[in-house]
Amino acid sequence: MRERLLAWVKRSIMEIILFVLCAILAFEAEGFFSVDNLLNVLRNVSMQGIIAFGMTMVIISGEIDLSVGSAVAFAGCLTAYLTQHLAGAGLAIELAVPTAMLAALLVGLSVGALSGFIRVRFGVPTFIITLAWMTVLTGSAQLITGGFPLTPFPEWYNFLGGGYLLGVPFPALVFALVFLTTHFLMGYTTLGRSIYAVGGNAEAARLSGIEVGKIKITVMAIVAFLAALAGIMQSAEIMSGAATTARGWELDVIAAVIIGGTSLMGGEGQIRGTLIGVVFLGILVNGMTLMNISEYWQLVVRGALILSAVLINRAHQ
Amino acid sequence: MSQSSFKLAVEDLGKDYPGTVALDGVSVGFAPGEVHALIGKNGAGKSTLVKILAGSVTPSRGRILCDGAPVALRSPQDAFDYGIAMVYQELSLVPGLTVAENILLGRTPKRRGLIDWTATYARAEEVLARLGVAIDVRARTGDLGVAQQQIVEIAKAMSFDPAVLILDEPTSALATHETEQLFRVVKGLAAAGVAIIYISHRLQELHSIADRVTVLRDGHHIGTVAMRDTSIAEIVQMMFGEVAQQERPDDLQPGANPVLEVKGLSRGDAFTDVSFALYEGEILGIAGMLGAGRTELLRALFGADACDRGQVLVQGQRVAAPTPPKMKAQGLAFTPENRKEEALIQAHSIRANMCLASMGRIARRGYITRVEEQAVVDALVTQLEIKVADTEAPVSALSGGNQQKVVLGNWLGNRPRVILFDEPTRGVDVQAKQQIFEAMWDLSRQGIASLFVSTELEELVEVCHRILIMREGQIEGQVRPGEISADELALRCMGTARNA
Repeated sequence: MRERLLAWVKRSIMEIILFVLCAILAFEAEGFFSVDNLLNVLRNVSMQGIIAFGMTMVIISGEIDLSVGSAVAFAGCLTAYLTQHLAGAGLAIELAVPTAMLAALLVGLSVGALSGFIRVRFGVPTFIITLAWMTVLTGSAQLITGGFPLTPFPEWYNFLGGGYLLGVPFPALVFALVFLTTHFLMGYTTLGRSIYAVGGNAEAARLSGIEVGKIKITVMAIVAFLAALAGIMQSAEIMSGAATTARGWELDVIAAVIIGGTSLMGGEGQIRGTLIGVVFLGILVNGMTLMNISEYWQLVVRGALILSAVLINRAHQ
Repeated sequence: MSQSSFKLAVEDLGKDYPGTVALDGVSVGFAPGEVHALIGKNGAGKSTLVKILAGSVTPSRGRILCDGAPVALRSPQDAFDYGIAMVYQELSLVPGLTVAENILLGRTPKRRGLIDWTATYARAEEVLARLGVAIDVRARTGDLGVAQQQIVEIAKAMSFDPAVLILDEPTSALATHETEQLFRVVKGLAAAGVAIIYISHRLQELHSIADRVTVLRDGHHIGTVAMRDTSIAEIVQMMFGEVAQQERPDDLQPGANPVLEVKGLSRGDAFTDVSFALYEGEILGIAGMLGAGRTELLRALFGADACDRGQVLVQGQRVAAPTPPKMKAQGLAFTPENRKEEALIQAHSIRANMCLASMGRIARRGYITRVEEQAVVDALVTQLEIKVADTEAPVSALSGGNQQKVVLGNWLGNRPRVILFDEPTRGVDVQAKQQIFEAMWDLSRQGIASLFVSTELEELVEVCHRILIMREGQIEGQVRPGEISADELALRCMGTARNA
């Protein structure tokens, strides 16, 4: 009985910590435990969260993507840029916006697939490839916007970032959908099993007849696609394409994945864990803001808690 | 040689590990100026013996004498202090540093806290000069050939002025002309009075390097003989002993249709112009010495490495540019030589490891559940008698034999036609070994063919229908197990006739 309890504690340590954090905030932070506030938390975490699920797959496969922050900014700017030009060329705005969105998603997907291809074909680590993309994409976003935010969007576009459906923020619904999809992919498909296998031991996977190259290209494309998706929603929330948004997101995203118990060495991790990691970070920021803790202190506390969470996770593995 | 003339000697030395006796009652001495070869099959106890001498393993029984006086070697440092240096099989050089830095690693002469390069190069050159070789001490070590790196490794050991030098398979990675260079260095050291202990698998080279040979078998000291008084055939006889030949069940009949045909296959300098056919239900062995190209051949057949020339046909159909996924789809399976690195995901569960190759077959349109996997895994666990309490436990928790069965099970789930076994019994206990053979025989009854590579020639003689002999990358001939004994097979693999 005691052993089983201990095993349960070990397995669910992050859930327990998250629960304790919520309990403390419910008493200490005024207005924390209200439906409005919790929905707000969900909306705030949803864009980074969407990327974090893709990042989990990438990290489990033994790779990394440092360019997701710039990819978010670039996708938003590209959508704005294309909308402006398509509308300027006489296309109806109702058609220009979806066309621009689709193009931004496809470009995002291709950038990721290209990273994967370079990784597989030339053996360059994704750490380097995506580091290069990071500056290329930030620079490209600046180039197409000319350094100033573009604001070609019609009013209704805001729904994608700031709207509500059945009382739930629209990005939170997308977040939930991406969670369910990636959870299913990783847990119940041969693609997911292959991703774990490739990250666990790429050579064993290859000699078991798994197409390691295809798997790597696929995960890199998925995370880049999700970053572009988040970028579009982000541009909808702020109603502009700005090259300076989402700076440093890659670190928050990776932090959420690691807090969720995914191993940076590859081969181990869970989408469910990342969900906890994302919500944990979101609640932490929200709670501290409600408690009027200064921005500077928030950064310090957040960093310290990220490290503690990872240490606790490590100690229990 | 009298007892006192030995620089280093062991008396009645023994080492027990839980469940096995690795070494028992070994008494042998090593004299200054002699090259003393240590010979035996895998698991004969050679490594245990030299590890004891190098201070990294503590013996369970017996004495170690240095200059006739008993000594205790509790750590590598102790051994070092008594003048015993060891060069391991795996090179321990830092490729990015110069030769001189590697030779004097951690001991580079300094002046005012900075490295004194003039002195460093001079000292390193002096060490190499004593070995009688000319290697540029300023060269980047990684740019040197393997033989030269091996010599740098020896130079590093010699820079400590040891009285005893242990070499663990120094020629295993070398080509013939490189071996000669190494031998000159080793003989020079012996002439200078160093006692050299030399482990090797290459029996052919013993005549050109060793003065005396000690043969170990199953941890026992079989004998020590002077090289000039013996022959390779006699040494092989000592290594293998009288083996009770186990019989292959006689109901196994290979079919008439070839499932796998290889025509003129070549790959770089690994193997050349290899041709053979493997028939339904046949167990075909490939015998050969280390470096004969057997592993490379199996890897190429499975598409793990590309070939330069030749054809691979599965059931009469040519497979162009084989890759592992392609060959898997053709019904081939491959259990690699290095189980831990190439076949298993150590941190993952036994279940996950048993569904690696077959998940495409278990899943319906890419959708797979644990329940479906579990049914397949449970059936395989029963079939292969894998001893496991919980298939969710990490595969690393299993013994070598059970891990090997997991690797085999992984492929059986995919219903293969041909299984390529590379050293399936390495690091596997006797009982599991027998179970693996029985699994091969069972597969043969179902018409599944096996291509079986093993360094343990007795196994091939016991298990196979037919054995190909591979030497220096070529198929030299074939034999049937009834016609040949393991030691005769060993001689043929070496290219030495019985009475040479």
